[in-house]
Amino acid sequence: MSRFERQTILPGFGQEGQQKLKAARVLVVGAGGLGCPALLHLAAAGVGTLGIADGDNISESNLNRQTLFGHQHIGKHKAETAGELLKEKYPDVNFNVISEFLNNSNAIEILRDYDLVLDGSDNFGTRYMMNDACVLLDKPLVMGAIYQYEGQVTVFNYGENPVNYRDMYPNAPQPHEVPNCSETGVLGVLPGLIGTLQATEAIKIISGIGKVLTNKVLFYNLKTSGFFEVAVAPNSDLKKELPASEEVFRSKDYNITCGLSESIDWKKALDWKHSLKSCVLVDIRELEEEPVFERVDISKIPMSVLNQDQDKVRSFENIILFCKSGKRSEHMAAELKKQFPEKKVFSVDGGIMHPASPVNSEEK
Amino acid sequence: MLAEKMPQSEFEFPYHKDSNELLKALNTKYPFLADLKFSLAVDKQLVQENTPLKGNEEIALLPPFSGG
Repeated sequence: MSRFERQTILPGFGQEGQQKLKAARVLVVGAGGLGCPALLHLAAAGVGTLGIADGDNISESNLNRQTLFGHQHIGKHKAETAGELLKEKYPDVNFNVISEFLNNSNAIEILRDYDLVLDGSDNFGTRYMMNDACVLLDKPLVMGAIYQYEGQVTVFNYGENPVNYRDMYPNAPQPHEVPNCSETGVLGVLPGLIGTLQATEAIKIISGIGKVLTNKVLFYNLKTSGFFEVAVAPNSDLKKELPASEEVFRSKDYNITCGLSESIDWKKALDWKHSLKSCVLVDIRELEEEPVFERVDISKIPMSVLNQDQDKVRSFENIILFCKSGKRSEHMAAELKKQFPEKKVFSVDGGIMHPASPVNSEEK
Repeated sequence: MLAEKMPQSEFEFPYHKDSNELLKALNTKYPFLADLKFSLAVDKQLVQENTPLKGNEEIALLPPFSGG
C-alpha cells in the first residue's frame, strides 16, 4: 500500500503520472482563498516541490475561506504557517516558504526554480506582473480569480498557440474601473472551488492526463450553478503590451492601487474630472488657506464642512480630493470611502504643493 | 460589479451591425459602462477587434476579476 495507491491504479495515470508529480516543482503565489485549497491538493497529490509565496499575515476575516488556517493561527505569517502545517501532513513533499510578496524585482529569480506557476493572488498588479514574468520565462501559469459570487479559471502560456492574460484584458484596469478589491464580499466556498480547479489543471499539465483548460476561460457563477467557457485566441497585436526583456520587466510599473482610498497624480485628477461622468474635484483646504486657487472645474468644500456633512459630494460617483500636501485629502478620502463604499474616492498625491499641480503651471 | 448594475443578467438588445456599434449603443443606454473595464465575447469567443454581427449572437460582457 502506498500513499498514492488510489492515483497510481487510475487508468492513464499510473506510476508514470505519480513519478511526474514527484519530479515537479510548482510555485503557488498567494496562500489565501485560492492558494489554500490549491496547496492542500497539490501536496496531497504528491507534487515533489511546492513553493509558497505570500507576504501577508493571517487575520480573523481570512478564516471563512483560507481553509488551511484556524483560530490559533491569527496573526501568524501565511506562507510560513502553510508550510509548517502541510509539512506535518505530507513530510514527503519539499516546501519552499517565500515570506514576501512577489514583485517585478524578485519574481524572475524566484520563478526560474519552478516548472509551473499557480496564481492565487488578490490584486491586478500582481496578476499582470505574474503574467508578464511567466511569458518572459515561458512557464505555464494556472490563473484563477474570483469576484463575489463568480470565478474564472484558465491556463496561460501552455500548448500550441499559447495565450496570456493580456489576450483577455490587454491592459490593467485603472483604479476607477474596478471596485475596491479588499472590500468586496466573498462566500468562502467559491475560492475553495476555483482554487481546487486550479490545482486540477496543474496536476493535468504535470502528469499529461486529459485536456488542459487552455485557450479558453472557464467561468463559474455560484448563484446560478452555471459553468460556461469562453474561447480566447492569441492576438499578435497585443504582444506590444508585454515587456520585451527582463530589463523592461524590472523597470515596468505594476503598482495598481486598490485600497481604501487611492492616490492619483494631478494629470489623472484633471483628466478624470473631464472624462468621467459624475466626477467632482474638491479642494478640501479651509477657505482662508493660501494660495488661493480658483478654477471652474474645482469645488471648494473645506474638510471642516465635509466632516460634518457629505451631502455636497453624495450625488457624485467619483470623488477626487486634494489639499495642500496630500495628507489631509488622503485621510478624508479614506473617511469618505467608509461612508460611501460604492463610490470611487481618490486623493491627489502631493496636493497643490506638488510640482505638477496646476497652481504651479498657471503661475508660470 | 457589472452584473449588479445591469437591469438583468441576460436580455435581448436591438441589432447593430458590428461589435463596435453595439458597444456604442450599450454605452449610450447604460452610461456606467464607460467607466468599467470588460471584454466582449461574441458567441463564446472573446473578441478584441471589431467583429461583424448577424443579430442572433450571444454577447457577453466579461469584467476581469482580481480576487483571490
